[in-house]
Amino acid sequence: MTNPFAILGLPESLVLDPVVIETAWRDLHRDGRDHAGDTASDRNVARAILTDPVDRLACWLGRVDPDGEPERGISANLMDLFARIGPVLTTIDALLTKHRKATTALARAVLAKEAVAAQLAIQTLLQEIQPMKGALTDRFAEFEERARSGDCREAQRALGELKFLKRWEEQCRERLLALLGT
Amino acid sequence: MSEDDLIIGIDLGTTHSLVGVVDSGFPIVLADETGARLLPSCVSWPLRGSPLIGTEALRTRALAPRRTVSSIKRFMGRPFADLTADECASTPYSLVPGPRGEILIRIDENTQVTPEDVSALLLRRLCDIAEEALEHPVRRAVVTVPAYFNHAQRESTRKAAEMAGLTVERLLNEPTAAALAYGLDRLDESSTVAVYDLGGGTFDLSVLQMRDGFFEVIATAGDTRLGGDDIDLALARYLADELHLGELTDSEAAVLLIRAREAKEALSGEDLVVVRLPFFRAGNSYETELSREHFERIARPLIERTAPICRRAFAEAAEKGGGPVQRLLLVGGSTRIPLVRETLREWFHLEPDYSQHPDEAVALGAAIQAGMLCGRIRQILLVDVTPLSLGIETFGGLMNVIIPRNSTIPVKAGELFTNAVDRQPSMAIRILQGERELAKDNWQIGEIVVPFTPGPKGSARVGVQFSINRDGLLEVLARDTATGTDHLLEIRDAAVDVEDAAVERMISESVDFAFEDLNERVWTEARMKSEELLPAVDEALAAVGDRLLPEDHAAIATAAERVRAVLGGPIRDARALKAANASLDEATQTLAAVLVEAAFEGS
Repeated sequence: MTNPFAILGLPESLVLDPVVIETAWRDLHRDGRDHAGDTASDRNVARAILTDPVDRLACWLGRVDPDGEPERGISANLMDLFARIGPVLTTIDALLTKHRKATTALARAVLAKEAVAAQLAIQTLLQEIQPMKGALTDRFAEFEERARSGDCREAQRALGELKFLKRWEEQCRERLLALLGT
Repeated sequence: MSEDDLIIGIDLGTTHSLVGVVDSGFPIVLADETGARLLPSCVSWPLRGSPLIGTEALRTRALAPRRTVSSIKRFMGRPFADLTADECASTPYSLVPGPRGEILIRIDENTQVTPEDVSALLLRRLCDIAEEALEHPVRRAVVTVPAYFNHAQRESTRKAAEMAGLTVERLLNEPTAAALAYGLDRLDESSTVAVYDLGGGTFDLSVLQMRDGFFEVIATAGDTRLGGDDIDLALARYLADELHLGELTDSEAAVLLIRAREAKEALSGEDLVVVRLPFFRAGNSYETELSREHFERIARPLIERTAPICRRAFAEAAEKGGGPVQRLLLVGGSTRIPLVRETLREWFHLEPDYSQHPDEAVALGAAIQAGMLCGRIRQILLVDVTPLSLGIETFGGLMNVIIPRNSTIPVKAGELFTNAVDRQPSMAIRILQGERELAKDNWQIGEIVVPFTPGPKGSARVGVQFSINRDGLLEVLARDTATGTDHLLEIRDAAVDVEDAAVERMISESVDFAFEDLNERVWTEARMKSEELLPAVDEALAAVGDRLLPEDHAAIATAAERVRAVLGGPIRDARALKAANASLDEATQTLAAVLVEAAFEGS
């Protein structure tokens, strides 16, 4: 796989300021290399990877610890969160299906009360996920420090958890966007 | 200037089309020999002679409704199976399924045309206008498309241009084009702009960041089946009901639609209009007054459909670090409706910006993009996104997203495929676009066939690269890891192998049966609507009935009774049931609004 850090001319560091990524990407665009075929999509993909902390961690670990694997087990509070997310998503999906099938304003209005409650539930979950993600991404400098002495276990464990959190966050956000449409 | 360098910009609209070019650094719209800048997007086939295009074609709408094709953009790149009964019923010309499940327009027994044929004629005319105005041959163009157009709709547009003898240098998203027109003389400004583009047939909302000549689209959302046409149709139905016109002939329906549209346009400036239908039927004339207030009651539900789309795009833009929207730019003819402007102000607490000409901004933007591509404009850089998530169908009929929506284009992503059984020669993969979890709920873009080198199961390894280019078009490359060779995979029409039995039946049945079949489809759709409405009425009245006025109660009771009567009637009168549903729908608007309000109070 091509190296996103190299494509954007950035140091292979886990701690990257989003503004720095943005500037690097823009400068390359301005370079007039805009018509050089493939390179534009490589740059766009590289930016997307590096801007997302979870993808950036995965990409960085792939370079500093190519033989390592993300930790599979998850902590107790993640397990607890998972147990609560499932039922909320199921309820919302049922609601969205009903809403989609409704063809009249009245039939949709009948669902409004439930939709408002669902929106609140999702927002509460998202507000829980964000600090959990933050607690892990805040340790990026520490992971980088440990990696210098060859220890990537903590980073791999964080990646395992972050992947779950990212997926749940995406699922919640999709539902929230869909609910905005109700 | 050599003719090779010249690129024109074309806005191929639902209602009208325009052509522009950059001249001495400024974009301009070109006029035809009569001085007209708007070409009506209308083509008609007279009984003898070549097709009429533009204004001439528009004149035949009432005389030969079945031979006059307008609003063709709505049918570009869609399979026939995708059409609703309502869409078929509301089009003055007749739509029939083609041999590959595509949409054909049946002018008469001997003439059938495709949506691309119609668009190609319009594009050719625009090209002629440009050649005459510029006194140069024109071969290359930027053509605009709704931002929310999927791959098939874009491909269909590109094909139409090709048929017109034009090379498409770029398919440009309409709201992006409008932003270019807006931003060209505001290059020092730095702001987040939302473009609300409500045209004749489509709605788009794009959020862009503009900074130092760098235009970056960060989020886009839309509905390719929502526009001024729908308002005209709703108004025409209301008028037909109000005037007790009953069953309409094709010509009558066409005339009524024209008058409805004129009334809509007049009501943007006036508070009251008189709709006149002189000698409408058997020498009888009809007329009725229409107030702006009443018109707004008819138009409001359609305009309200844009709200969730805007909220969605705003939320996604904020998510991507776009910051709050600072400017709300309005383009597209339908944004002239005062109600649109008022509701937007109310919803988003932003003063709408209508500094751009609602009909010309997109064409000017297309001209600017054309100027950028041929080096006449150098101070702008533009980056756009793909509107829809791209994915493939996986086990269990699910969609597996490969490229998420709002990804900056061009973009690419790879997937590795292997043979599941020994000596499997190839594998068919269905390509989808959309945001729904189930494959069947998304757009079926087509199918690719990944070839395998024969061998035991799991031995073949083919990497498939999905890329979306700057036109928003999909390209699929397959790389055989054993040989290291790449080749382009053809995206076969999804319509070719429609499993949908209903479609196959429709194709095989002769056109004579189409009408009966249509009545059946309309009845089924209407019955489902009744079955949805009646229990909803009971539930809603139980919840908030005490907040309604006695006259609202009476109106709802009468309308509900009428629906029950038709539903239980001796014959399946689809038209009557539809009308009864529409009155009940109308009678319950206030009830629906009260119910939504109550839901938010509790939160």
